[in-house]
Amino acid sequence: MADETPHNDVARYAAAVRDALSDLPAAKRDLVLEDLEDHLAEVAAESELPLASRLGPPEEYAAELRAAYGAGHQPPMLRFPRTRRLLRRTLFQLSGWRTYQAVRDYLPELRPAWWVLRAYLAVIVLAVMLRGDQTIHPIPNPFTSGGILELIAMAAAIVFSIKLGRWSSRRKDWLSWPLRAGNAMVALSGLIALGSMSTLPTWADTYSANSGMPDAYAPGPITNIYAYTVDGRPLESVLLYDQDGRPLVIDASGYGIISNYPAAADGQPITNEYPLTQTRMDGSGIVPPRVAVPPAVPSPSPSPSPPASPSPSPNPSSNR
Amino acid sequence: MQPVADTSQLLKGVLDLAVLAVLEGQDSYGYDVVRRLRESGLSEVGDASVYGTLRRLFEAGALNTYVVPSDEGPHRKYYGLNDRGRRALADSTKSWTTLTTALNQLLDGRSAKNGR
Repeated sequence: MADETPHNDVARYAAAVRDALSDLPAAKRDLVLEDLEDHLAEVAAESELPLASRLGPPEEYAAELRAAYGAGHQPPMLRFPRTRRLLRRTLFQLSGWRTYQAVRDYLPELRPAWWVLRAYLAVIVLAVMLRGDQTIHPIPNPFTSGGILELIAMAAAIVFSIKLGRWSSRRKDWLSWPLRAGNAMVALSGLIALGSMSTLPTWADTYSANSGMPDAYAPGPITNIYAYTVDGRPLESVLLYDQDGRPLVIDASGYGIISNYPAAADGQPITNEYPLTQTRMDGSGIVPPRVAVPPAVPSPSPSPSPPASPSPSPNPSSNR
Repeated sequence: MQPVADTSQLLKGVLDLAVLAVLEGQDSYGYDVVRRLRESGLSEVGDASVYGTLRRLFEAGALNTYVVPSDEGPHRKYYGLNDRGRRALADSTKSWTTLTTALNQLLDGRSAKNGR
């Protein structure tokens, strides 16, 4: 605390004494401490030593003063006296730091900013409570009726909040308990309301946007089926059936693809013979995909077994 | 009842008298009263006690006060006895004399007994 000026020391010490006597009625306390600063200045002028090392801690000074003045009652027994004393002492030490003083000095200048902010928060909280947090955004959209309403309410609330702030700061006890509680409530619920309408994408958005798959692997429509043996030989003319013995048919016409079905002996098209022979509507051909077949476990008989057809014999004519 | 062990405890009861006595001779400001009390031998008198006593006596109407501008340092608030203060001093002095006489006799008698 090299920056401690004698004047500073006096003001600090006096403030701590005043604080310790805060249980006295304000008028009485003002009367008792009327010339405390002047008195302490006289004491300070006598020596280079800080006041606290000559007069003892401010709380003890206050206690002695109280006893000599006969201020009636001792301070009421407060809970956690040791913690309180430690806190007060720490605060007293802290108040000697230049940074602390700078912050404490400019905090009052931020008061009007807080008046505006609390009005904004109050309207946001109200809007979230009335309409749910789905439709409320941190910055109201002026092109919706709700947004306009919010903006008007905010303007009104700001005017009111500033009036209230000016009125209460003119009073000495400007931070009376109800006002303090109200401030804390608005701040807390405002933060919660803002948090609930985070501008970051929601988890669901993130999930679908970044599923990590290149487009080629995104599941798309199935327009054809290519069958391979386990050792990588492409199979031609495979008839496919589902679990109920119905021919498996793919209708690719919705994707601009024309399938040319071969005809059975009775002249009906065989719709489940794969791969389908297909052309695009514009006439261009379709190149079969290049596939990577997993390395095969050497199997004793690579010969394709006849399709284990479901009991009803494949009868392409039964379909279409 | 607290034991009257140290001087500061004894002092508390008579500080009013001491302060009035100091101010009787000469008007004075707070810290000067402290200094003069200490110079006259009451070395343990506390700054806060004197300040508190001055304020109480002032509010009780025993003192008048006026501010004296000073060239260096703060303006000084001087305290001085008014009529009421002088009467209070006279009454207290009487009580004090009675009390000390009685106490002295008591203490003398005890030391005489002990010395026998």
